[in-house]
Amino acid sequence: MRETIRLQWTDNDLLEGLANGSDAALNQLYKRFFPTVLHLIQSNNGNEDDAKDIFQEALVVLYEHVQAGTFTLNAQLKTYLYSVSRRLWLKQLARRGRYSALAPDDLNETDAPVDDDMAEHELRDQQFEHMGASLDKLGEPCRTLLEDFYIRHLSMQDITEKFGYTNADNAKTQKYKCLMRLKRLFFSNM
Amino acid sequence: MAVRSTVVCIICLQIKVLIGLSAMPVNNRHNTMNEERELTDALDRYGRRILFKEKLARAEAMVDMDAMREQARLLAQATDAPIQPIGRVRNYWRTHRPTFAVAAAVAIMTTFATLVFVKYYRNANQQQEQYSMLRRDVQAIKKSQNRILDGLSVRRKSLITVNPGQVAGSSFMLTPDGYLVTNNHIVQGADSVYVQSQSGDVYKARVVYTNRGYDLAILSVADDSTFRPAKSLPYGFDPRPSDLGERVFTLGFPRDEIVYGEGYLSSGTGYRNDSTAYQVAISVNPGNSGGPLLDAQGNVVGIISGKQVSTEGASFAIKTDYLYRAIEAIPNDSLKGGPIKLNRRTSLNRLPRTQQIKRVQQNVFMVKVFKHKE
Repeated sequence: MRETIRLQWTDNDLLEGLANGSDAALNQLYKRFFPTVLHLIQSNNGNEDDAKDIFQEALVVLYEHVQAGTFTLNAQLKTYLYSVSRRLWLKQLARRGRYSALAPDDLNETDAPVDDDMAEHELRDQQFEHMGASLDKLGEPCRTLLEDFYIRHLSMQDITEKFGYTNADNAKTQKYKCLMRLKRLFFSNM
Repeated sequence: MAVRSTVVCIICLQIKVLIGLSAMPVNNRHNTMNEERELTDALDRYGRRILFKEKLARAEAMVDMDAMREQARLLAQATDAPIQPIGRVRNYWRTHRPTFAVAAAVAIMTTFATLVFVKYYRNANQQQEQYSMLRRDVQAIKKSQNRILDGLSVRRKSLITVNPGQVAGSSFMLTPDGYLVTNNHIVQGADSVYVQSQSGDVYKARVVYTNRGYDLAILSVADDSTFRPAKSLPYGFDPRPSDLGERVFTLGFPRDEIVYGEGYLSSGTGYRNDSTAYQVAISVNPGNSGGPLLDAQGNVVGIISGKQVSTEGASFAIKTDYLYRAIEAIPNDSLKGGPIKLNRRTSLNRLPRTQQIKRVQQNVFMVKVFKHKE
């Protein structure tokens, strides 16, 4: 309610909203910063879908950084997002086999130092991929069970009902077994 | 001291071992717990990202893309317009440089290949032209060689040769009683002169008079017993100077058959302003010399004498006036039976050309000259 009537969002408001998972903050972020990124991607061999993907990823970078609690904004949020998007797009282009489609000195004056953030993001990305792969290997019903418990934060009771276990303890045992299997998978390939 | 310290050490060891033994499971348990926490943390982060991405997808779905596009377009126009196009061009260059290089190389190759090919092609054509020109030259050379040979043979026959030779020319009747006129250069140095009519009758001719200056020679066949004098000549001899542009024709023997030629008077003087001759635009060949030049009415206006090799259509004919003068100059004792009187009136003036030719050609003869010496 407080957010919907807010007319002027400051960068800090947006960050706070992002950390709290506020949808209004996300909408505002899109509204204010997406056009710049869209323009960036479109003027560098990208299309609208590319721009959407890149902006999403940039927001993920920002979000996870804010969540980690170590984020200090040392440039305008707009600049930060722009720089991150640019770096992400460069990486994407390199992956597609086009070299340095973005001039490195292209927008130096508006570039924010995001090297550390990018490195961190890289790490998180790897972990994310690894977790995703491990969960894939785990198979059903373990995967859904773990996802429901750890990601959707369903109660043990809900899970018992959903998966048709006789009682919550049974579900708990099952969950524990699944977690152990995931642990093996997760650490074996690390 | 040493013993005590050793004992202490043993105790120490024991304690260490004890500690170590008891510590092992603790460490293991600790590790397991760490791993579990790490795993749940990773799961947690994984989950957060998944959830966040879902949120983002929802937020993205709510975005008014048209407005975004519009803003991006405005950005492209306004803010970055001065920078972006350059950057874009540069980016484009950087991205496609290898392609450009290959394209440029191909273009250059193609250009030069085309140039070389065109040059080669043109050269080949030129060579062909040169070749054909050469052939023409060769032909011209052949022609001129032939001409030289012809000339040589004529000259050999007429002037140089020691061997008995033959010179051919033309001649025509001056009077019905057997006087003929021809060129001096034909009969010059002749041992014997014969004239042959178109019908094939051959008469032995006597050279009555020669005039080197006018290049005229008067022959007579009256001595030949087979000669039958005619009653009259169809053509007249007009001593008055003819006008330029007068249509004229001639009959002669450039070969064994009589040949008709037609042209017009093109100048009042002859070769190198020779006032004794006309220049006539008429096609004549060696052998035409000595032939009559008649105007349309059938008046003899001249005697064909030669042509200029280097100039097209420049033939020359001695004016009839000089024929009169030559005749006047003949000594009386050279003439048997009185002076030569030329017919002044033509009887051909109303006849069509074919009839004129028929009448005239009976009085035109081929001159055959035999020489033994130079």
